[in-house]
Amino acid sequence: MKWAALLALLALSGASRSPTPAGHWRAALDLASGELRFGLSIKPAGAGWRGELCNGSRCEPLSAVRFERDSVLLEMADYDAVIAAELRGGDSLAGEYRNVGSRGPRVIPFRSARGRWAASRAPAGLLGRWDATFLQDWGTSPRVFEMRNGKAGLEGTIISNTGDYGHFAGRVMGDSFAIAHFDGSFVYLLDGALHGDTLRGVFHAGLRTEIPWIAVRSTGRPHLKSPSEVTGADTTEPFHFEFPSLDGQTVTERDERFRGKVLLVDIFGSWCPTCHDAAPELIRLYRRYHDRGLEMVGLAYEVTGDTAIDGRLVRRFRDKFGIPFPLLLAGISDVESAAATLPQLHGFTAFPTTLLLGRDGKVRRVHAGFYGPATGAQHKLLMRQWQREIEALLAERPG
Amino acid sequence: MTGWFRSAVVLAASAAGLVAPAPLASQTPVDLSRERRDFAGWLRSASNSPFAAVAREPVGNGLSLGPSGSDIPLTGMEAHRIVQRGGLVTLESTTGLRPTPRGRPIRVGSYTLVVDGPADRGVLTVFGASRGGAAPQYFPYQRELAFEGGLRPPEHPGQVRILALDGNEVDASEAGSVEIPIDGAKVRLRVLRMPLGAGEESDLEIFFRDGTNGQETYPAGRFVSLLPLGGGRYRLDFNRARNPFCAYNSIYPCPAPWRGNTIPAPIRGGERYAGGGRSDPPDAGAQ
Repeated sequence: MKWAALLALLALSGASRSPTPAGHWRAALDLASGELRFGLSIKPAGAGWRGELCNGSRCEPLSAVRFERDSVLLEMADYDAVIAAELRGGDSLAGEYRNVGSRGPRVIPFRSARGRWAASRAPAGLLGRWDATFLQDWGTSPRVFEMRNGKAGLEGTIISNTGDYGHFAGRVMGDSFAIAHFDGSFVYLLDGALHGDTLRGVFHAGLRTEIPWIAVRSTGRPHLKSPSEVTGADTTEPFHFEFPSLDGQTVTERDERFRGKVLLVDIFGSWCPTCHDAAPELIRLYRRYHDRGLEMVGLAYEVTGDTAIDGRLVRRFRDKFGIPFPLLLAGISDVESAAATLPQLHGFTAFPTTLLLGRDGKVRRVHAGFYGPATGAQHKLLMRQWQREIEALLAERPG
Repeated sequence: MTGWFRSAVVLAASAAGLVAPAPLASQTPVDLSRERRDFAGWLRSASNSPFAAVAREPVGNGLSLGPSGSDIPLTGMEAHRIVQRGGLVTLESTTGLRPTPRGRPIRVGSYTLVVDGPADRGVLTVFGASRGGAAPQYFPYQRELAFEGGLRPPEHPGQVRILALDGNEVDASEAGSVEIPIDGAKVRLRVLRMPLGAGEESDLEIFFRDGTNGQETYPAGRFVSLLPLGGGRYRLDFNRARNPFCAYNSIYPCPAPWRGNTIPAPIRGGERYAGGGRSDPPDAGAQ
């Protein structure tokens, strides 16, 4: 009898408790012909809330979480995007993901239930590196898929000529799979199935775009064409840049801190997810080689061209990663603007693009795009290559 | 399978167990109502809404903006000049140069400037305070105006430069065609893939004219998108037909009708013409 009374009391206290958005959520965007799954985690923080958006085991903080009555607003300020949802009965969220579009609002239905997506591991036949071909209306274009089993089950990425699409995670159903990447800006879902020794499927982008693809096991022969092959630089004269820092000071390659140093120039944008992948790796290189004479500078190409707004975005990017080298406001993020402000580069096509300058200030290496940690072996190869090149340049004596 | 059926027929057939149920849950009139509400809100309040557009000119050899006598006089704006050199568009003023990347809004005082169009043919649109306008009006929903089926591959794959819904030139690619039954006749409509800003996104769109143009709907014709259903199948729902932006504001040019995309019968679904734009539609068959 006592137990029954206690249970009744607990039930009553539970019923009177206000619903809260805190906890783990199995979230999904409903694309026109597919379900893009991702994870959300919301926690109380002081008088407010904070949260994370997760693709499998890889999580990124939300810029703000607001909760009032039964309305939840999850902000992704890097991309000027929000998820606005209603908390229903304390155990589900329903609403929409949106940001501004040019021909009407860009809106995708969102829903979520409490809990975490179950991890599902892929059979060996799906894993590994695949040479894929996207079958577009106007022709075909190459991609590479990297698939592996990680902490959250099947994980992977897609690599194009200019870099990778970020970390994908998802589920497996027999020989079929669906992996997704959602970061607040890019809405990507890759689904497919194994047919004999061939993978076939559809790549979904945003609410409605569908691109069929076919893939075969990588033979090890190059399938992609690196933009580094078409991006070049004037190597006869020292590389020149002159842009304002975040505190308004003009910074150039002639400044004392860069003189006689090996200089890595990171051409990036805070809006660019691959640049977010690259930042921690650059910091690692900086910490490892700075004492031996490596300097770095980031040239930010931002969205608005308004110094106040762009400065705020780049400061947030700097603080998010704890970037110890100067970041300069170089211009606006279209390829034409960047090319115009850096006339010594030609064939500029990709964010990020990384330049390695010798102690004489001349460009010794241009690398367009970046293979992020999601690419696994490709990433390790790139980092080893950069380390070798930096060490070789550091070993050169000033002329 | 490229044959097209009315969605209602598919539903009836599925009830009889003849075909798999059509996945229509996300494309019900409830969703359509939400889409329409979102779009009305965007028209009312977005800084780049057609209701807020005050001027639009090709950048050409350069445009002066600001004081009276400028190419584009803008009350309260200091003298600026927008120029195009080698594909790069720059806004110049006494305070310096400012690159203006395509499709990105640039705030100047109380105005927003957006340059769109191909690299060598930039077009400047200036947005100010919204002048408001009539909310879009729609025909009552008719389920029989929704069809499902596959795309017939294009006979001549390739790209074509056309005007999109927003009056901007885009390089669209031939995506194929659909053939739908209307009033007992088969009507074939050409489908183009229209790029959507950055990233990999695009829409499959049909720009069509029908028997209502000029009386009940906008004379130039209307756009309707194909909604993917998976497995190479699409939904074409004329209840989702939209007016080009020239129907809201005469500063936008109207797209030329796509050759062949004329439906003789009236399609009483989707957006009606609520008035507002004044551009005369270009000649039919121009594209």
